[in-house]
Amino acid sequence: MMDPAMTPLGQMLLEEITPVVMLLSTPSVEEASLKNGLSFLQTLTPFCSFNNIDVPVRTASDQPYRLHKFKLRLFYASDVRKPDMKVAKEQLKQVITEAGEKEFSESCSDVSEINHEFSSSSEYQNTPSWFRFLNKELVRVASFSDHEAFDHPVICLVAVSSKDEQPISRFVDLFNTNKLPSLLNDGAMDPKVSKRYLLVHDNQDGPADRASKILTDMRSTFGASDCSLLCINSSLDTPIKTQDNPWASYITDASPTPSQDLGCFLNIDDINEIKDLMQDLASKYIIPNMEQKIRLLNQQVSATRKGFKNQIKNLWWRKGKEDGADSLNGPTYDFNSIESQIRVLGDYAFMLRDYELALSNYRLISTDYKIDKAWKRYAGVQEMMGLTYFMLDQSRKEAEYCMENAFNTYLKLGSLGQLNATRCGLWWIEMLKARDQYKEAATVYFRICGEDILHSAVMLEQASYCYLLSKPSMLRKYGFHLVLSGEQYKKCDQIKHAIRTYRSALSVFRGTTWSYINDHVHFHIGQWYASLGMYDVAVKHMTEILACSHQSKTTQELFLGDFLQIVEKTGRMFEVTKLQLPVINISSLKVIFEDYRTFGTPSAANTREGLWRSLEEEMLPSFSAAKTNWLELQSKLIPKKHSQSNVCVVGEAVTVNIEFKNPLQISIPISGVTLVCKYSASTDDVRSDENESSVEKDNEVDHFGNMSSDSSSFMVSDVDFLLGGGETTMIQLSVTPRAEGSLEILGVRWKLSGTIVGFHNFKLGHPKKIIKGRRKKNHLPNEKFKFMVIKSIPKLQGSIHPLPGKTYAGDLRQLVLELRNPSEFPVKNLKMKISHPRFLIIGKQENMKSEFPACLRKRTVAVPSDVYANSNIMSDTVFLFPEGTSVQGETPFLWPLWFRAAVPGDTSLYMSIYYEMGDASSVIKYRTLRLHYNVQVLPSLDVSFQISPSRLKLQEFLVRLDVVNKTSSESFQVYQLSSVGLHWEISLLQAPDTIFPSQSLKAGQAISCFFTLKNSSRFLTLEDNISTLPVRSDVRLVPQSSEDLVYDINSAPLFNFHHYERLQQEVSYEGDLNTVDFVLISRPFKSNDDPGFPNPPHVMSHHACHFSTASTGPISWLVDGPQTLHHDFSASFCEISLKMHIYNSSGATAFVRIDTLDSAGNGGHMNSVNVVQSATTDNQAGWHDITPVNELKVTSNVLETQPGKAPSLESVSSYIWSGSISTNLHIDAMSSAEIPLQICVFSPGTYDLSNYVLNWKLPSNGKGDSDETRQHSGKCQGYKYYLTVLQST
Amino acid sequence: MATTACFIIVSRNDIPIYEAEVGVAAKREDSAQLHQFILHAALDIVQDLAWTTSAMYLKSVDRFNELVVSVYVTAGHTRFMLLHDSRNDDGIKSFFQEVHELYIKTLLNPLYLPGSRITSSHFDTKVRALARKYL
Repeated sequence: MMDPAMTPLGQMLLEEITPVVMLLSTPSVEEASLKNGLSFLQTLTPFCSFNNIDVPVRTASDQPYRLHKFKLRLFYASDVRKPDMKVAKEQLKQVITEAGEKEFSESCSDVSEINHEFSSSSEYQNTPSWFRFLNKELVRVASFSDHEAFDHPVICLVAVSSKDEQPISRFVDLFNTNKLPSLLNDGAMDPKVSKRYLLVHDNQDGPADRASKILTDMRSTFGASDCSLLCINSSLDTPIKTQDNPWASYITDASPTPSQDLGCFLNIDDINEIKDLMQDLASKYIIPNMEQKIRLLNQQVSATRKGFKNQIKNLWWRKGKEDGADSLNGPTYDFNSIESQIRVLGDYAFMLRDYELALSNYRLISTDYKIDKAWKRYAGVQEMMGLTYFMLDQSRKEAEYCMENAFNTYLKLGSLGQLNATRCGLWWIEMLKARDQYKEAATVYFRICGEDILHSAVMLEQASYCYLLSKPSMLRKYGFHLVLSGEQYKKCDQIKHAIRTYRSALSVFRGTTWSYINDHVHFHIGQWYASLGMYDVAVKHMTEILACSHQSKTTQELFLGDFLQIVEKTGRMFEVTKLQLPVINISSLKVIFEDYRTFGTPSAANTREGLWRSLEEEMLPSFSAAKTNWLELQSKLIPKKHSQSNVCVVGEAVTVNIEFKNPLQISIPISGVTLVCKYSASTDDVRSDENESSVEKDNEVDHFGNMSSDSSSFMVSDVDFLLGGGETTMIQLSVTPRAEGSLEILGVRWKLSGTIVGFHNFKLGHPKKIIKGRRKKNHLPNEKFKFMVIKSIPKLQGSIHPLPGKTYAGDLRQLVLELRNPSEFPVKNLKMKISHPRFLIIGKQENMKSEFPACLRKRTVAVPSDVYANSNIMSDTVFLFPEGTSVQGETPFLWPLWFRAAVPGDTSLYMSIYYEMGDASSVIKYRTLRLHYNVQVLPSLDVSFQISPSRLKLQEFLVRLDVVNKTSSESFQVYQLSSVGLHWEISLLQAPDTIFPSQSLKAGQAISCFFTLKNSSRFLTLEDNISTLPVRSDVRLVPQSSEDLVYDINSAPLFNFHHYERLQQEVSYEGDLNTVDFVLISRPFKSNDDPGFPNPPHVMSHHACHFSTASTGPISWLVDGPQTLHHDFSASFCEISLKMHIYNSSGATAFVRIDTLDSAGNGGHMNSVNVVQSATTDNQAGWHDITPVNELKVTSNVLETQPGKAPSLESVSSYIWSGSISTNLHIDAMSSAEIPLQICVFSPGTYDLSNYVLNWKLPSNGKGDSDETRQHSGKCQGYKYYLTVLQST
Repeated sequence: MATTACFIIVSRNDIPIYEAEVGVAAKREDSAQLHQFILHAALDIVQDLAWTTSAMYLKSVDRFNELVVSVYVTAGHTRFMLLHDSRNDDGIKSFFQEVHELYIKTLLNPLYLPGSRITSSHFDTKVRALARKYL
């Protein structure tokens, strides 16, 4: 803790609480001193403070001490009164205004804001200096109050000029009580002030003879010691040039005269004389005078108030007085009252720095005033107590308590105590500051704020600085109080101060996410700057708040309205680099350009590059040539120096997709959205890099501004739109280069409301996000926007029509691919690849001529089918257009395509067409045209088949077809069912009329119908099949009529689509000859007229593949024999011969063994377990019976292993197998065999001849093992075959 | 129910991640920014105070005229700040505790990035319901 006297507060107290000297002077004295440009008071003032007076002082105690520094305050008698509030206020206001102007011009010249980093430095570096002056003035305003004694004049200096007539009587006149200040007259101050008489002689008026004569007269009249002579203006001509003019620092405030002229007629002797005079006055008169008075008063006080007796008396006396005066100010005390005298004693002691004495007296009087309810006096005493405690540097708590008490008491007095409260507060604050309690000081500042708005503004601002200085510095509080202060400044029209405070606050709030705060500060600064006419700065601040999505709609309108108004006032097109309205979603940025890749549809450009790459992989020559080394091929593709930048072609637009978002609730008009580009004729990379750096150095806006100048080398598109509240719009912008060279897209510019231009530089945004995956990732982000413009090359335009956007599953159509080449150069070597051959296949040139549904019909004249030749194309490889195909000029090149909606759902079809340039001089040798279409396929018919073998004939099957119409409204006509393959013959079991009475299948309707399927090539191998004539494999499901012909499923599109369906539906292995494929052809019912489908399908095909006919394994057999037989059992038993036909439908030789079982009687019983077993092992489909197990005691184990040894006597077999018990044979692939069987029957009855087991085995080959479904061996229980034998008569 | 009450959740980086005016008083145009100013300034006090106590509820830490700022600091130094003009200490404490629970539930959401703005409407309705209940 430093010495209290050295603190700012201590200094202030030592200056402000000092003895007052009342000055009375005649006009001629003033006249003489005015020659120097000074009043007489001002002439004396510099010599009233003594730095080393070194006077011994002895107050109440016997121990003397020495004073070193001392100061006197001089006042004219007329000024010894309460200062005029209005004048003081005006003066303060002027000071503030001036300071405002000054600070403002400073702050405008250098933009650097207050850096709160150096808040550690001392207070006075940060706070404006005029604060101190202002505070001093505020303290002074409260002086000469009647409740305090330190403003009482200690001595009266009466000055008369030697020029005056009758100087002696003038001295008396001057101290005429009528002219004395009211405070002395009305009894608040002691009017008996000791006087000192001064004769002033102007040396310019002549020699001092007369003066010395008057002095002797004076001495005789007033006493020798009280009179003195002062000679001034001794310097005749040459004004003295003292280095440090003593008056300069005192007068600068108001005087208009230059300080050099001050005291120009006073020479060194004069100055020394004045100095001696004042020192004399202080040391010989004032201090001893005060000492004397202190001693005197102290004696009085001791006599009346000290001691136990006096205290009791005082208490009793006061209590009695209590009822009387009850006014707010309490009783009035004149200077003679003991209370006033104690106060005087205390104040004098304070001024002479006998703080102990002062404190004891203040304490004494404080309780009295409190009891008397003299609140103002009480507060004044408390205040002094606080200061005394401070100066004694003891009991901080007490000091603060006293100050707070005083402050609160003053405040309680209302307007009466306001000024005193301010003064008290300021002292309190200084006290807190001296102890580094800035935070508390700030709260006191806050409390000082009274009704006077201007003062509270200043106080709030000072409070904010206190927060800044507190440790740790409270920046947020600092900002908040600055804003509060700014508000107050604004209220009293101190706009410049308001701006200053807000600007300082901005340093705290900059970059804050507290949105309302940010908006408030920026908006008001903007508004205020605008009111000062500084529109440029205003606009800068206003742009900060445009994207205020959190504000209410009215606020948004207000902000935007004000902003536009300000912009309008600037009177020019305003250009802003970071306009926040509308918000640009930089991550949505997408650059689409066409180098060797061209896009036929906009959606194609939005498709992943990887997808196209994989599609085009086989087509592009470079890839197929050197697939192993992609590095090399890159450099081959484009010359090395260009490989860094992207390539675009003259006349072909580079498009940029950008999302604009309006964060506001109000709609904003956006116009003139264009790309900002830079063109340079050179394609050299090095050069362009240099340009690059120079552009970086330039002001961005400049470059953005002059973009229109070189528009000859490129052309940019211009978009206008209205962005509604909260809307997000994707904008497509394009730039079309017109000359070779290099082009760089710098950013985007737009016009908001037609007045303000915003820019957005792409590079400055988020470079990481701008990834256009066309190139390698190691490219610099800037490279994405750099293009090498090469000369014009052909570009194909292609389209497919009429591709339906929405269709039903199975829809089959013929489409046309149309290619155009607007340029004059031909293109050649066309290739094409399609992503989904299931949906889209390439037709043949001659298909162009044929009419669509008709060409699918079976021709009456048998034409050799060229289907098999076609199948070569149907691999996954690239389709090559015929040699010599060249597209050029206006005539479009047409090529047929077949479309079939294979599966329901949304499908994206991609196709890529490769072509090479006619002339080889171009940088780009080839290009690809990418087309992308979306097709929505709705479910139509759900088709399922079920095949079960016939029990009557080998190689005949029963097919059940279930068709369900899955649509919601459409009706279909199921037209034709075809089996694919040459050896399957299909025929209807019922007439078509009975199946479809209404000829159509309504929405949601399901139907089943049955067919027989016959394998017509039972003994032929696959190779032979081809040469045979086709068998009848198509069944029409509609009644015969002349115009409808059967569709040829071997026609090219159907066959090819079927091929892909087969690949898709593949479940089994190649070479299984027992599978059958079906094609169901349906048509929409004629009467349909659905407005939702402008282009209804004509033909729909449904393909179902790989239905296996071999449901019980590859071996099928049939027992052939008589059904009913007559025999005379009386003659002999009956012997019956049967035949078994076995057919091997597999592709390999099968080994078959037939075992007959003679457990005859069990024929009806033993089947239970075995049948179940056979059913499971054989995957038997279709109908079979499961007899419940009757004999639970018979375990399956016994029956399985020893079927022949289990016959019980009571159930003797009713027949026995009489032929060979076991027959083994080999059956070749696709061939049948016949074995004889024989049974013996002993009595008439009906017999079930299922009592045999057929084992088969196929040679296992290695590759087939992996197939789980395929069986290599099996065991089949015999079929039920009933034979009835009757007794013949 | 308090006439004026403004509830803000401030993340550890001093960014407001949730704001709600939960008072019943008619909303004045400039009240939002004043509330933000007061709460923002109160952060200075909280910053000092939070380390002096182990309690999460710091009671009222700051005042501006009639408006009092009560603060609750979570373990992760997220601050719940309530600006209010009512004197209902217990209610405020319960309010904070319940909001803390809600906040933790939000934190448990794997899609919520701690320190980002809480946009959940469920959270908002719950907080407002709590405000009606306790304040």
